[in-house]
Amino acid sequence: MTTPSQPGDFEEVPDAIVDAESKGFPVVWLLPLVALLVGGWLFYKTESEKGPEITVTFHTAEGIEEGKTQVKFRDVTVGTVNRVDFTEDLKAVQLSITMLAGTEEYLTDKSRFWVVKPRVGAGGVSGLSTLLSGAYIAFEPNREGQAQKAFTGLEKPPIVTIDKEGTRFRLRADSLGSISIGAPVYFRQFDIGEITDYKLADDYSYVDIGVFVQAPYDKYVHTGTYFWNVGGVSISMDASGAKFEMESLMSLLSGGVAFETLPEFLDTPIATENTVFTLYENRSKALERPITQTATFVLRFDGTVRGLSVGAPVEYRGIRVGTVKSIDLGADPMHKGIVGPVVVIDLEPQRTEAYRDIDQADSGQREKSRFEKDPVKRVAELVKRGLRARLQTGSLLTGQLFVEIGLFPDAPPAEMLTDGRYPEIPTLPNTLEGIVASINKILGRLEKADLQGTLTNLNELMVSTSALAASLEEDVPELSDELQKTLRTANRAMATLEASASSDGEIGSQLQDTLKEFSAAARSLRVMAEYLERHPEALIKGKGTP
Amino acid sequence: MRAIDAGLASCHTCGLLLHLPTAGHTHCPRCSSPMHLRKPASLSQTWAFLLAAMIAYLPANLYPVMTVVSFGKSQSDTILSGVIYLFVHGDWPLALIVFVASVLVPLLKMLALLYLLITVQRKSTRYRQQRTRLYRVVELVGRWSMVDIFVVALLAALVNVGTVATIEPGAGAIAFSAVVILTMFSAMNFDPRLIWDYQGEQ
Repeated sequence: MTTPSQPGDFEEVPDAIVDAESKGFPVVWLLPLVALLVGGWLFYKTESEKGPEITVTFHTAEGIEEGKTQVKFRDVTVGTVNRVDFTEDLKAVQLSITMLAGTEEYLTDKSRFWVVKPRVGAGGVSGLSTLLSGAYIAFEPNREGQAQKAFTGLEKPPIVTIDKEGTRFRLRADSLGSISIGAPVYFRQFDIGEITDYKLADDYSYVDIGVFVQAPYDKYVHTGTYFWNVGGVSISMDASGAKFEMESLMSLLSGGVAFETLPEFLDTPIATENTVFTLYENRSKALERPITQTATFVLRFDGTVRGLSVGAPVEYRGIRVGTVKSIDLGADPMHKGIVGPVVVIDLEPQRTEAYRDIDQADSGQREKSRFEKDPVKRVAELVKRGLRARLQTGSLLTGQLFVEIGLFPDAPPAEMLTDGRYPEIPTLPNTLEGIVASINKILGRLEKADLQGTLTNLNELMVSTSALAASLEEDVPELSDELQKTLRTANRAMATLEASASSDGEIGSQLQDTLKEFSAAARSLRVMAEYLERHPEALIKGKGTP
Repeated sequence: MRAIDAGLASCHTCGLLLHLPTAGHTHCPRCSSPMHLRKPASLSQTWAFLLAAMIAYLPANLYPVMTVVSFGKSQSDTILSGVIYLFVHGDWPLALIVFVASVLVPLLKMLALLYLLITVQRKSTRYRQQRTRLYRVVELVGRWSMVDIFVVALLAALVNVGTVATIEPGAGAIAFSAVVILTMFSAMNFDPRLIWDYQGEQ
């Protein structure tokens, strides 16, 4: 209800001063606008920082927490685990991860994820910092690949991450030979790389091994470089004796490979990524000169070839010139219808330059020797001059044999047979075989000797001996008297000795004293032994005060 | 009878009683303080602050108010996640306090102001006394919502032990303090006399 005003009551009240009107937009309405702008900007910022949602599967979610575990690359956070689920078959866990914006192009099928947590391995301890901060997921971006959103995490951290510079190569080996992942790669005994992986070839015919060689050492790997296994200890025994090879203690534990480039291959191009090399069993196998030229000959032996193995050396005056290629039975031309050992050898002219003719030796040029040019012809010439092959014992210890070829001018003349599959070098018997033959000869001579005459002589000798015995028999009574006397004297001497040795006697009492001393010594020894048994530390510290 | 009907008002600062025109800006001849019969543009200003507060309320609750970095492991918490954390760990009285002070009170305050504004604009004559009391409560309770912000500010300043533990305020904290300040301004700008101005159909 409004009451009519009575202005008269307030007439003395002064007027307020009227201000000039300020017209315009009320400034206060800028506030909601600002709030809207700021809020919108915040929203936009967080939304725009949100990158793709991806899933990564691991076997277990050990150390991973929803909403907290982070995905890092070079220790910079690039994502966060949102949710941890099981896969449908419950065989693995599936992590939903929100990556930061801008990571899309690095999320490809070649990108890798693994959990970084403290690990202790043969190569050392890693991930210690995560003891305090908790595990995180490492991410290795790789933009070369097909984009994808679902990944399978690695259970173990990769040996070689993308931030290591270097080159990867593939090695092929007959067998793995104690190589393990992470095992070192040596170059002049420098540890400069690692074994990254290995697997059987699809057809199981070889082992495929991946190695990583760090920069700048990777430029020492040429296409002509040799790799060999240095894992463990290699002990070999062959015709050249026993060998013991070991690279380092580390390689003894975890295996490893080494490489080297022979000087003559230094001008081959530097090997590119994923070049395939052969992994040799050991250094000597790897560094054997590559043999491209061989001349095959056949040898037929009379005796046994036990102790000769395929791969055994063929030597000329102690210098290796070839290799035994095969050992088999074959027709023996000496004895019709009987088989004998047939040894096929490869002569390898490139093994040594000494095969050149003498007059070329000083010229210093690598000209092909006559042997290299036409080995068969050259060998045929030499056979005429007495070239023969024979088996020799390489090592008396192992009984390994090797093939020796040499010039034996005294040998019965022979020609090289060229009518077979391979030309045949004539052989001589083994030195041992030679000795056996001589003994046989001696025995044969003995067999023919005059045994009857010898036996008659022997008979006569026996008769005269028995006559001598009869004459001796006559002197026996005299001798027995003398013997009795001697025995009596001995008896007396024994009695005296017995008297003095009894307890009353001189020697006896001394002996008793000695025995007492001895038993006292034995007692104290026992006491000491018992004390030591109870207090073994007394050996070091001495007998402490009780 | 209202003072506005007589064209009379006393200066807020020096208390001088003056004749005022019903419209326009005036000031006191004695102390030069601005004078008005009703707060000028009260409704529109209240609306502006309220809307700004409502907008800010969203990020205040969606974004983390603080981030605890401990041993390289960082954990961000929004107001609600903090409440849930406390509740799950058995501190439900504390959870209740935080929830009431930081979530419920600002929300109810905004709803109350909204209700007051709408009823005034619709010239409602119902529950005038209750509405006036509501306004008094809103103005009184406003500043207590700042408790959260004080906690964050204190922690951020105190807990700064490098790698062991560091606490950083988040975007949500700024938004939340904006909500509290804006609702306080909104309440200040509301003129409770407006509740009583409309006297109904005569």
